[in-house]
Amino acid sequence: MRPQHWLYTIPLRLRSLFRRRRVEQELNEELQFHLERKIEEGIANGLSPKEARYAAMRAMDGLEQRKEEMRDMRRIHWLTDFLDDARFAIRSLRRTSGLTAFVVITLALGIGMTSATFSMVDALIFRPYPVPHPSGVLSLVSTTHDSNLDDFSYREYLDIRSKTKSYDGVIANADMEAVGFSAEPGATPRVRGGMMVSGNYFHVLGVEPRLGRGFREDEDQVPGRNAVVVLGPDFWKHEFASDPSVLGRTIGLNGADFTVIGVVPETFPGMLVFGHPDFYMPLAMARAFATNPQKNFFEDRDDRELKVKARLKPGTTLQQARNELAVLAQNFESEYPKVNRNRGAAVYTQFETRTREDLNWKFGVIFVILALAVLLVACTNVAGLLLSRARARTREIAVRLAIGAGRFRLIRLLLTESLILASLGGLAGIVIGYGVVQWFQSFQNVIFMTDLPFSIPFRMDTRVLLASLALSALSALLCGLAPALQSTRVDLVNGLKSADVDVPGRKRLWGRNVLVVAQVAASLMLLTASFLMVRGFQNTLREGASFAKDHLLMVSFDPRLVQYNPAQTQQFYKLLAERVRVAPGVESEALTQNIPLGIDDFDGIAFVPEGFQMPRDRENFNSTMDTVDEGYFETMGIPILRGRGFLASDTADAPRVAVVNEQFAKHYWPGRWWRL
Amino acid sequence: MSKPSDLVQGTLDLLLLKIVALQPMNGWAISQRLKQISGDVLQVSDGSLYPSLHKLEQEGWITAEWKPSENNRRAKFYSLTRLGRQHMEKEAANWSRLSAAISHIVRLEEA
Repeated sequence: MRPQHWLYTIPLRLRSLFRRRRVEQELNEELQFHLERKIEEGIANGLSPKEARYAAMRAMDGLEQRKEEMRDMRRIHWLTDFLDDARFAIRSLRRTSGLTAFVVITLALGIGMTSATFSMVDALIFRPYPVPHPSGVLSLVSTTHDSNLDDFSYREYLDIRSKTKSYDGVIANADMEAVGFSAEPGATPRVRGGMMVSGNYFHVLGVEPRLGRGFREDEDQVPGRNAVVVLGPDFWKHEFASDPSVLGRTIGLNGADFTVIGVVPETFPGMLVFGHPDFYMPLAMARAFATNPQKNFFEDRDDRELKVKARLKPGTTLQQARNELAVLAQNFESEYPKVNRNRGAAVYTQFETRTREDLNWKFGVIFVILALAVLLVACTNVAGLLLSRARARTREIAVRLAIGAGRFRLIRLLLTESLILASLGGLAGIVIGYGVVQWFQSFQNVIFMTDLPFSIPFRMDTRVLLASLALSALSALLCGLAPALQSTRVDLVNGLKSADVDVPGRKRLWGRNVLVVAQVAASLMLLTASFLMVRGFQNTLREGASFAKDHLLMVSFDPRLVQYNPAQTQQFYKLLAERVRVAPGVESEALTQNIPLGIDDFDGIAFVPEGFQMPRDRENFNSTMDTVDEGYFETMGIPILRGRGFLASDTADAPRVAVVNEQFAKHYWPGRWWRL
Repeated sequence: MSKPSDLVQGTLDLLLLKIVALQPMNGWAISQRLKQISGDVLQVSDGSLYPSLHKLEQEGWITAEWKPSENNRRAKFYSLTRLGRQHMEKEAANWSRLSAAISHIVRLEEA
């Protein structure tokens, strides 16, 4: 219907709805007027008043039916019927309050678990970037020959930026890094999270600074020239108490002076799922921040540290952008064969990026599936209860059918009942889901043992709420349909005679059998899955930490942050180890690049095991490694099973040595791993 | 029997709109007028008249107003809306086209 039409009809519908009595009265009055005229006419034609009245009524062709027809014309009876059904349902549910409470709690648990786990998946995959028109923001990634994703180097970024035509701006950012921040130059620095971004970053994303300005293009052109910084919203609030005079102030970052030029609004917590940068610096200031010390950030094409994103031009298709970048990647390969051999590039949407870059979402999906299984069991449970309740109402239903209620109308009534149950369950479920999400949040400090601004992104937002409501409606149908269908198929004669009939035959039991089978199957699956998960965790807890966890303290440093050169760094660690060793209460000490079970990834390493039959298509294998000193195995309580650990004599000039773990030895040298 | 079987579906709507278009009228007067202009050919029972009127009202094609009738009793008078006039003109055109086509065919068979 056209909107112009609604202008007339909506007020009419509203009037029928809210001035119901008035409308009814007018209907009666109108018909009364007609009948009176008709009777007058009859009398004038010589009929007796009684006959005239009778004739008038006959001409109406059933007065009450006509009235019903006229009411139907108001087109609101679907709503008034629903309200009547709802009123009736609430009354009858209140009568069986114990059962109602049980059903609501059952559904609430199912829906609550599902919405809580869905909030995880939502945060990890679906939640759009916090920028205007987020769907236009694409990720450009470099791909290696085994189709792993990689970042781009600064030089590559500049080339992409100048040679692509599909985008309204190409931006780049480095990873969020630990930065030594001091509110005033000279004050003791504290570790905060900063992110280097390209000069057009905020402009292309459409983020308007809440205070001051974003970066200008020219502030990101000459390495080391413009020491400017834009603050993140939370950081500004907590570190500077939302003081607007912060603009123009000088702060220390990694020992260098930076001028604050702007503050990002609350609506932009950053583009990362977990991290929310405390401040942003231009890429041109890269020398002040932790980049690969062996490489030249601005020159080396294989110093790949930048994530590149771009905003697709309106009217350009994703496929065009993909083709364009593929050609560019081929040019890179032929122009710079040394660093770009077997390298491609790909354009990903936000969904593709989130599902490819980080695999945590798979756990979220598993949890959602498990929670849905719980909800399914809850629904079958509730369906069983409703079914037995419907059996107790056989007579009521038989009476309704006998006095002319249509089966469809009765099914609607019964479904309204389960809809109300499910809505209550849904509301309670949302409360439970909210509680679970809050409970997740309480692990914040356990999960992120760091000073960097990471947080758990799960929350109950509008999208999760809508999903929960949709789920409630679905479960209403799921747990209400079977009982409604079955209980309206009553044998009227028997139904009217006794309150509880059980018609012999298979048909009647069909629904219940399906319910029981589904319930047992789903429960079994859930039990198996949770048993396996618990066993898995137990195994991990028992075996995983095969090092002495007690009386072990850990501290990490990054001397690069204060511009130490490699020699100074080496000296620093040597002194540190010596001093710790003689500290009272210290039994032993060790240096390691990474700690076991830490949040940082171990470095990867390619290796060729001696005497191992290599598969035809491989030149080497990949694994992870850690760089440690001679005290490591003793301090961590890791036993050396064969051979020796490292010694102080294993220096850079000594023959090169490595230690492998038991798993490695058993796999690559089976049968002879004890003869090392 | 709620719908007059000898009226083509939708034609009653058109008739009612046409009648109301002349001047605002109450239900009783409309039923009299129907009888008067169509004779006994179009039999519209009193019973089917009112649901049809209500339908037209709910569609927004006619609007109702309570006014004193000729004998000073309060009655519901229907009149055509702007939207109703558009609809009526469209339907009337359709009807002429259809009936012209049908009578053309009927005459063909006679010849």
